[in-house]
Amino acid sequence: VSIRRGPVLRPFASGGRRTIVAILVTFALFSTLSVVLSIRATARSRHQASALEIAARQRTLAERYVAEVLLTRAGERADPAATARLLAESAAALLDGGTAPAVEGDDDETRLPAQTGKEARRQLVQEHLLVGDLIATGRALLADRAIAGVRLAAHERITATDPVMRLRVLALLTGSVSLNAARTIAAHTERNVNDLIVLEIVLGTLGLVTSFLLAFALITTTRRQTAHFQSLVTHSTDLVLVFGAGGCRYASQSVAAMVGAPENEILGPGFEDFVHPDDLPHLEAARAHGEPREIVLRVRNGRGEWRHLEAHVTDLRTDRRIRGIVLNARDITERVGLEEQLTKQAFQDALTGLANRALFRDRLDQSLARSQRSGESLAVLLVDLDQFKQVNDTLGHDAGDRMLEQVAARFASASRSGDTLARLGGDEFAMLVEGAGELEAGRVAERLLECLEEPVRIADHDFMVAGSIGIAVHTAGPAESKELLRYADLAMYAAKEAGRSTYRVYHHDMARDMGDLLGLDHELRLGLQRGEFSLHYQPTISLEGGEIIGVEALLRWKSPTRGQVPPVQFIPVAETSGLIIQLGEFVLREACAQTAQWRRDGLLPERFVTWVNVSGKQLSAGGVSARIQRILETEGLPADSLGIEVTETAIVIEGVAGDRARRDLEELHEAGVKIAIDDFGTGFSSLAQLRRFPVDAIKVDRSFVHGLQHDSKDAAIATNIVSLAHALDLVAVAEGIETDAQLASMRLLGCDHAQGFLFAHPVPARELGELLADRRRAA
Amino acid sequence: VAHRPALNSLIARLVPVVVLAPAAFAVAGCGLGSTSGTGSGGRVIHVVERDFKITAPAHVRAGHVTVQVHNKGPDAHELIIVRLKHGNRLAVRSDGMSVDEDAVEAATVASLEPGRPGSTRTVRLTLAPGRYEVFCNMSGHFMGGMHAQMVAE
Repeated sequence: VSIRRGPVLRPFASGGRRTIVAILVTFALFSTLSVVLSIRATARSRHQASALEIAARQRTLAERYVAEVLLTRAGERADPAATARLLAESAAALLDGGTAPAVEGDDDETRLPAQTGKEARRQLVQEHLLVGDLIATGRALLADRAIAGVRLAAHERITATDPVMRLRVLALLTGSVSLNAARTIAAHTERNVNDLIVLEIVLGTLGLVTSFLLAFALITTTRRQTAHFQSLVTHSTDLVLVFGAGGCRYASQSVAAMVGAPENEILGPGFEDFVHPDDLPHLEAARAHGEPREIVLRVRNGRGEWRHLEAHVTDLRTDRRIRGIVLNARDITERVGLEEQLTKQAFQDALTGLANRALFRDRLDQSLARSQRSGESLAVLLVDLDQFKQVNDTLGHDAGDRMLEQVAARFASASRSGDTLARLGGDEFAMLVEGAGELEAGRVAERLLECLEEPVRIADHDFMVAGSIGIAVHTAGPAESKELLRYADLAMYAAKEAGRSTYRVYHHDMARDMGDLLGLDHELRLGLQRGEFSLHYQPTISLEGGEIIGVEALLRWKSPTRGQVPPVQFIPVAETSGLIIQLGEFVLREACAQTAQWRRDGLLPERFVTWVNVSGKQLSAGGVSARIQRILETEGLPADSLGIEVTETAIVIEGVAGDRARRDLEELHEAGVKIAIDDFGTGFSSLAQLRRFPVDAIKVDRSFVHGLQHDSKDAAIATNIVSLAHALDLVAVAEGIETDAQLASMRLLGCDHAQGFLFAHPVPARELGELLADRRRAA
Repeated sequence: VAHRPALNSLIARLVPVVVLAPAAFAVAGCGLGSTSGTGSGGRVIHVVERDFKITAPAHVRAGHVTVQVHNKGPDAHELIIVRLKHGNRLAVRSDGMSVDEDAVEAATVASLEPGRPGSTRTVRLTLAPGRYEVFCNMSGHFMGGMHAQMVAE
C-alpha cells in the first residue's frame, strides 16, 4: 500500500483568514471601482446637462436676434449686437468648452467642457457656422447691404431672395441644428449612463463570482480540514471527553468503543454510570474546578472490566468554542498491572512465593522497632540447605528449583501464622519469630529440621536434605536488622561447622570462635596480595546477529588451601569485612587493562563492552565514579567500552550513601560508561526508581529464563521485563541461557542480547582472546 | 424624433457589430443618388441627405421601388416624398417657411421620421409615373435647400 503525499494538515485559521481577506479585498476593489465610475459618470452627466441647456437656449436666442434686427430696422430700441455676441460666445463654448455667457433675467454664466462626442461635435460645428451666417446676414440687413453678397459658410442653399426671409430661414436652421445637437448630447449622456449600468453589472457580477469562488474554496478547504481533524480526533486511541454543566457533552468514538455503549448513554449524566464509585469524587473535582490537572479513573469497559484511565484535565470553560472541561485520557491498565506485579515481585520470591529479602528486612525492621517499644524479644533463624549445591550440579537448576519449592512448602507448614518466612536467595531461608526467646527459637529450629528428615522426591529420585540453622535472638534495646542478620549468619556457619542438621544460637563470643570464617577473611586479604585472584570472561551474544558484542568479567579465586572457591562463598565474607572495595578495584583495573590490550591487538568489534559487576558496598562507599574514570584514563580505554552491572538492591540504597551512589552512576553514565541492572526482577521496589536511573540495559535473571518453559508465572515476568525494558528504551539481556528452547523463547520475547553456557562458558582472558581472534578471522 | 427608449439603446449596444457589418458593406458598395437592381424589392433608389441638400436621381422607373435614404449629416433629417400635381408647386404653411404637410397629405407617398447622421433608412413604395418632390421638412431645412425633384416614368 503506497501512501499518497498529501498537503500539510493545517488548522483552519491560517488559510481561512487569508481567503476571507481576499473576499473582502475583492469586494472593496469592485466597490471602489464602481463608485469612481459613478462619480465620473455623474460629473459628465452634469456637464452634458449644462451643454444641453445652452444648446436649447441657442434656438431662443436666434429667434430673439431676428426679432431685434427687425425692431432695429423699424426704428425701435433693440440691441441685436448683444444677442449676436451671446449667440457667438455660446456656440464657441458649446464646441470647444469655456464659459457660456449669462442671459439677462434668464440664467447665469455656465462653464462647459469641450464637446467630445463626434456626432455632437459635427452638429455643433454646423451650428457655429449657422450662427456666423445668421449674424453676418443680420449685420448686412442692418447696414442695408445686399444680402446676396453675404457668403454662407454652412452649405445653406437658400433660394429665397427676400432678406428678411433669408434671415428667418437662417434663424430656423440655427435653432433646428441647436436642438438636434442638444438631442445628440442627451442621447450621448443616456448612452454613457447605459454604458455605466452595463459596466457596473459586469463588475458586480465579476466581483460576486470571484467572491463566490473564494467562498466556495474556503468552505471546501474548511470542510476538508475539519474532516481531517475530525478523523484524527475520532480515530485516536486516546479518549477525549468534554464536560459541561449538564454532564458529558462530547465523547470521542474511542470512548464509546471502550465502554461498549452508544453515544446517548454516555452523554449527559450517563457517563458517571461507567465510572468506579470511588473515583467519582476525582471526576467531580475535575469538572467543578478544572483541577487536579491529572486524574486516574477506573471506567468499566464493555466486558465489565475496570480499566484504569489516566486523564489530563484542561479547563476550557472560558474558551467560547468549547465552554467545558476537557479530559484527554489514556488507558494505562497494562502499565498499572505491570507496576503492581513488579511491586509484588519486589517483596515476593518468585520461585517459592515466600517473602523475599527486601520484605524480610522490612518486617524485621518493623519488628525491631516494636520490640524496642514493648521490650519483647524476637528471633531470626537463618537456614542453609546442605545438599542443595549437589542437587543443582547433578540434576540441573530445574531440579534445584523443585527442591527449593518443596522445602519452602514444608517450612511454611511448620511455621505459625505470625511468623515471617522468607527465601533470601539461593538455598538460604530465613524466619522471623516475634516474641521468641532462645528456647522458643530453638524449638522452632528443631521443627524446621524435622521437616527435612523426610527425603525430597525429585524426578523419581529421593534426596536427603539437611539444613544448618543459625539463630540470633534480640532481647532488648536498639538493634539493627543488618546486625541481627549477620549474627544469625555467624551462628549458621557455626552450625555448619558443628555438623549437619543442627542449629546454633549466636553468642557474643561466637565471633571469636568462628576461626574459619575469620580465617576466610584473612585468606582473602592474603590472596589479593599474592595474586590468587583472576578474571574469567563470559561473552554476551547479540540475539540478532549472533556476534559477540561484549563480555562479563567474573572474579575467580584459587586458594592454595581450599582450591577453587566460588564467588557466592567468598563475596558475602568480603562484603562483611569491607574487603569488597579492594576486590572490586582489582576487578575493574584488571578488566580494563585486559580490554585495552584486546583493543590494541585489534580483536574487538565495534561497540564491544566489557561488563564488570559493582557491588552495592562499593557504590555506597562513594568515589566509584572518580576511581573508574581514573582507571579508564590510566589504561587508555574509552568510557563506552566499559559497562558496570549493579544489582537492583544496590540502587535502592536509602539516605546519603544512596544519593552518592546515584550521583556516581549518573556521572559515569554521562561520561559514557554503560550501566546495566543485574538479576532484574528479584528485588526491585518500584518502577519509578528505575525510571530515575541512568540505565542502558536490564539483565533478566537466570531464574526467569530457566522457568520460562515450565512456569507460567516466570514466563509472564520474563515477558514483562523484556517489554518494560523496551518501553523504557533499554536493552534486554537474558542471563543463563543453557538450552536451545530457552534461546528460542527469549528470541521470541524480543530479548536483545544473551549470555549462557549455550554460547560460551566463562573462560580465561587468553582463551577469550583466541575466540575473538577466530571470530575476527571468520568475519 | 431622435429619442429612443433606453432599453433599445442598451440592446443596440450589446448586439455584436459583426451582425451589422455586412449591411454596412452593402451600403458602401452603392453609388450615391442612383438606382440599382435588387431581387424582390424592385429597383433601389438611393437618396443622399446632407446639410442642407438632397441628392436623388432625376429619373426613376415607375413601379415597385426601394428607397434607401443615406443621411450624411451632420444634422438629423426627415425624408418626405410627395407626388406633385398642380403646377409642380407644394403648398407652403402660412409663415412661408415649411411645406404644409397636412395639405399635401393625400399626395404623400413616403414620410420618414428624422434619421441620425450616418444612418441609412429604407422604405418600399410603388411609384406611379409622375413628378415627385423629395424633401426634408424640419424647421428651416426645406427653405435651406433640402429639396429635390424626381420623375418616375
